[in-house]
Amino acid sequence: MAASESSARISGWRQFKAILHKDIVMELRTKEMLTSMGLYALLVLVVYYIALSQAGQNFQVRQIAAGLLWLVFIFTSLLGLNRSLVHEKDQGCLDALLISPIDRPVIFFGKAVGNLIFLVIVEVFIVPLFYFIFLGGQSQAETGGPIWMITLALLVGSLGIAGVGTLLATMSVNTNGKDFILAVLFIPIMFPLLLTVVAATSAVLLADPGYATVFWKMMAAASGYDAIMLLAAYGLYEFVLGA
Amino acid sequence: MKQLKIAIALVLLGGVLTTAAFFMAFYTAEVQTFGTVTLDKTVDTAFGIAPQELQPPQGQGVAYERPWFSQKIFYFHVPVAEASFLVLIIAAVFSVIFLIKRRAADDTKARVAMETALIFVILTMITGVLWTRASWGVWWEWEPRLTTYFIMMLMMIAYFVLRNSIEEDERRGVYAAVFAVLAAVNAPISFLITRIIPSNHPVVFKSGMASSNLLPFIIGQLGMLALGYGIYVARMSEERLRERVELAKEALEG
Repeated sequence: MAASESSARISGWRQFKAILHKDIVMELRTKEMLTSMGLYALLVLVVYYIALSQAGQNFQVRQIAAGLLWLVFIFTSLLGLNRSLVHEKDQGCLDALLISPIDRPVIFFGKAVGNLIFLVIVEVFIVPLFYFIFLGGQSQAETGGPIWMITLALLVGSLGIAGVGTLLATMSVNTNGKDFILAVLFIPIMFPLLLTVVAATSAVLLADPGYATVFWKMMAAASGYDAIMLLAAYGLYEFVLGA
Repeated sequence: MKQLKIAIALVLLGGVLTTAAFFMAFYTAEVQTFGTVTLDKTVDTAFGIAPQELQPPQGQGVAYERPWFSQKIFYFHVPVAEASFLVLIIAAVFSVIFLIKRRAADDTKARVAMETALIFVILTMITGVLWTRASWGVWWEWEPRLTTYFIMMLMMIAYFVLRNSIEEDERRGVYAAVFAVLAAVNAPISFLITRIIPSNHPVVFKSGMASSNLLPFIIGQLGMLALGYGIYVARMSEERLRERVELAKEALEG
């Protein structure tokens, strides 16, 4: 490519920042994504309370806490991903992005990172809340493993959810079934990742002897699946946008 | 019409071979006495046939002869399961070809291959569930191989749900192809998982097989592949006829 041509074009990093900036500005103005995702997550916690209310004194919520925690994020991200792409489609923004001279992979990264940021913000609010509601008042309040381990597990899981979820949501908003289709596609594809991050989070929460080994094994599997799926999503996004 | 003849011939061949394997399993195959699963005397009586107690080899616990059911289903279950993995990969390959070349024929091929794979997956699930009942005493267990295979089946069902929810041909083809590629990632995972993580699901070919067992297995496998290809060719010729009917209709109306 000639030098003059490349200098005339906007660099990929600036394109990426522009897409991300657009998503964040829209969110700051409407506050729609975060309120809906946050409220939905709260409602899921209330439903958890209903489910656990008859469990009895001897029942240790900690045993299943990791699974419950991730369930909140699965449901919330299903909602958020769908919203994020429905906005793009209904307001014709996706078409405008396609007309503009932006590389297709940049669109993928812009949308995926935007979704990741929203999911992480919800997690920052929900994780402490979840801890105080379901794990705080226990008689044997074990401390569990270090917090950075849980944070790492949350990050690796969220990365996969946001990346692959962006691809699948871009597909599902163009179908008749929208959110239903997203759930049908998303949950099986995410299954190996979710199983491994739940195992890793659970290992840290329970902090049984030798939990670090389990944690790193599960994190290795989760990261491997993340890498494969994110690469696949990155490679396939161009086809989905073009169709 | 030549294609339909080939299809019928292949299905017949597959039927003959799998039937032959089935009879060989009963009459010529050795009964495998020590599987990779440690059998429990109380478990292996699911269908009312008690396992026979055998002399244990040195250094091992009590061994039981596997009853006929959990032994003989091997010659059906394993060929159909391996064929299902293969056909799913073939469907993904057709999907990739479609994504590159964008010919509608490749999309049809991918869809028909996926249908065939789904038939095989369902057959594997049915025989597998019967086997787990006979051998482990439960209908289902959340065990690595069973779980990943179940998820694979869900993905293949999702593939058709996705297809049915899109009206434009081009977009349907592209989305389905993209999803097929993502789903195919799960096939090697499911295939290899029993070799990576400790799993209750037996890995027969790691522990070795007698030639009298191997022969009916190979015949069954060939039969299953012939059957799969036969179903594929038959469905493809049906699709071609349907396209011709559509074209003829348009020509008449036009």
